[in-house]
Amino acid sequence: MNPRLLVRARGMNPRLLSLSRSVGFAVVLLVILLAVNLILSPARFTPGSWGALVGLAAPLIGAAIASTPVILAGRGGIDISVGPLMGFVNAVVIQVLFLKAGISSPLLLVPAALLIGALVGAANGFLATVVRIQPIVATLGTYLILTGVTLTILPAPIGPAPAWLKALAGPWSILPLAVMFLVWWLVRRLPYYDQLMAVGSDDRAAYTAGVDVTRVRFIAYVIAGIFGGCAGLMLTALIGSADPNIGPTYTLIAIAAVALGGVSLAGGRGGVAGAAIGAIDIFLLQSVLTTFNVSTFVLQIAYGAILVLAVMLTALQERLAMRAR
Amino acid sequence: MAGRNLFATTNARVIGAFCVATLLHLAGAVLIPGYSSPFAVRAMLVLASLLAVASIGQTLVVIMGGIDLSIPFVIGFANVVAAQLYGDGWNFVLVCGLVGVLALVIGGLNGLISRSLDIQPLIVTLGIGMVVQGLVLLWTAGFPSGSAPQAVSSFVSIGGSAGPLPVPWLVPSLVVLSALVVLVLERTPYGRRLYALGSNPGAAPLALIDPVRMWIVTYAASAFFAAVAGVLLLGFTGSAYGDVGQPYLFQTIAAVVVGGAALVGGRGSYLGTIAGVLVLTEINTLLIGLGFQPSAVQAALGLIIVLLVSLYGRERHVSTTI
Repeated sequence: MNPRLLVRARGMNPRLLSLSRSVGFAVVLLVILLAVNLILSPARFTPGSWGALVGLAAPLIGAAIASTPVILAGRGGIDISVGPLMGFVNAVVIQVLFLKAGISSPLLLVPAALLIGALVGAANGFLATVVRIQPIVATLGTYLILTGVTLTILPAPIGPAPAWLKALAGPWSILPLAVMFLVWWLVRRLPYYDQLMAVGSDDRAAYTAGVDVTRVRFIAYVIAGIFGGCAGLMLTALIGSADPNIGPTYTLIAIAAVALGGVSLAGGRGGVAGAAIGAIDIFLLQSVLTTFNVSTFVLQIAYGAILVLAVMLTALQERLAMRAR
Repeated sequence: MAGRNLFATTNARVIGAFCVATLLHLAGAVLIPGYSSPFAVRAMLVLASLLAVASIGQTLVVIMGGIDLSIPFVIGFANVVAAQLYGDGWNFVLVCGLVGVLALVIGGLNGLISRSLDIQPLIVTLGIGMVVQGLVLLWTAGFPSGSAPQAVSSFVSIGGSAGPLPVPWLVPSLVVLSALVVLVLERTPYGRRLYALGSNPGAAPLALIDPVRMWIVTYAASAFFAAVAGVLLLGFTGSAYGDVGQPYLFQTIAAVVVGGAALVGGRGSYLGTIAGVLVLTEINTLLIGLGFQPSAVQAALGLIIVLLVSLYGRERHVSTTI
């Protein structure tokens, strides 16, 4: 039932095994890409500019983390509304709350963003687990609604963002990321985490063992929504304004990052750390490609090709690991 | 017993979707003057036919338990490449042949990589689609040129007529094509293998179904029909545009699901997809006719998809699957 117990029964170090199995390839890729980046553009990657780099990568890492819990919950669980949610939070925080209502205090704006995320997540969870619409369709619905509403309240980009939020763009963007990791670390201490992984690996077995499958999945969507709201704040910090068109572009890249980070899209395998490493991989990849100063067309070709190659290598490595056992 | 029940529910979903399309049309006829005028109906039929062609592949792939995100990219690829080569003075039949073969290769690659390595087709088709789009952009330097031959334009033109019928040849051709697709799905070994593989990927190989071959063939077919849609769209819009397929990314999935298919595979029909296509076209036309902004139309579309699917497209509770 509990994957940890199973592993322990086979006499292996559970932590090491799960880590190497889930993020093995992504870590190798991370080291290679980091080395290539350091060789190609040492100026951009001096320790002094690491903070700025983290700031640039933060929204993607946040989006990847937000995409993870629902995928872990299994049975086709996927949240493609994470990107539009980030855009929606961005638009509401800047256009509605900051510019129109004049609210600038972080004590109000941060809870508001997280609350929007939680509500959207709860709506997704309700549709996907209680109404039982296939998750990709349910979140496609939310995707379209959020994109449409965002464009209605914010037809064109507008600025600026509050000063404290802009200050979160550089090195300080590590702060919201750290909070997200801390929250996930706490979730992992809870019995809920074991239930989530059990539901993700085999929901029928979990159900017969007395796990409330619907509740577990619903909570996963709410967590995804809260993380998505946090990622929306990070996006706002990075662009320092509101832009209705940026958010939705994060959805598919974030899911690609999650898959690259060894999270099985079938559920029950992987974790937030892997997703974050996958996102950093993609960021470093973009960075390598831009240093070659090629046209955006070549960039796109290389980007797509490396994405496919990376998931292929992940699959091959997984297959070899299975054979070795 | 499960087979009969499943069939009954699938039929119910298809009928439900057709009913919704009819109701939407009636609503439009009441609310908007001229909604049922011959020209408006003709325009809707043409738009629906284009979406129906693009959705053939998605239907097959979804029944098999996959998903194809490369459809919009292949549509754009066929659209731009056909226009460019025809503009360079190539014979149009030759151009179509080349585009078709290339599309088959792209789709085959999608299926081969996804199945043989057991990777989520979501990621593979997205990656391959991005590569294809990048290659096309590189080739045309981002500025595609050329146009469609007159024959293709009149084939899809809203004002065209097919013999005595007041619709362009596209519409009757689509009816024939749909009948063929339904026939292939219901009455051929390929169709039975497709449903078998989708319902139970583990058991299908034991019934001597080669999953890799099925995935290659089906994804190749999906890309091929996407390319057909791309060439038809070239005739419809008159000039090449690489992003012409982008609206079709989610619309094909929505049409398939509104038509009663399950994204986990094994369930669905092309007739259902046609119903889904009609529903989507009606909603779009109705909302634009009511004077909504494109962004509001999008939001309403999302809301209506969710509402419709919650009416008749619900999944079973886990307790009933044990």
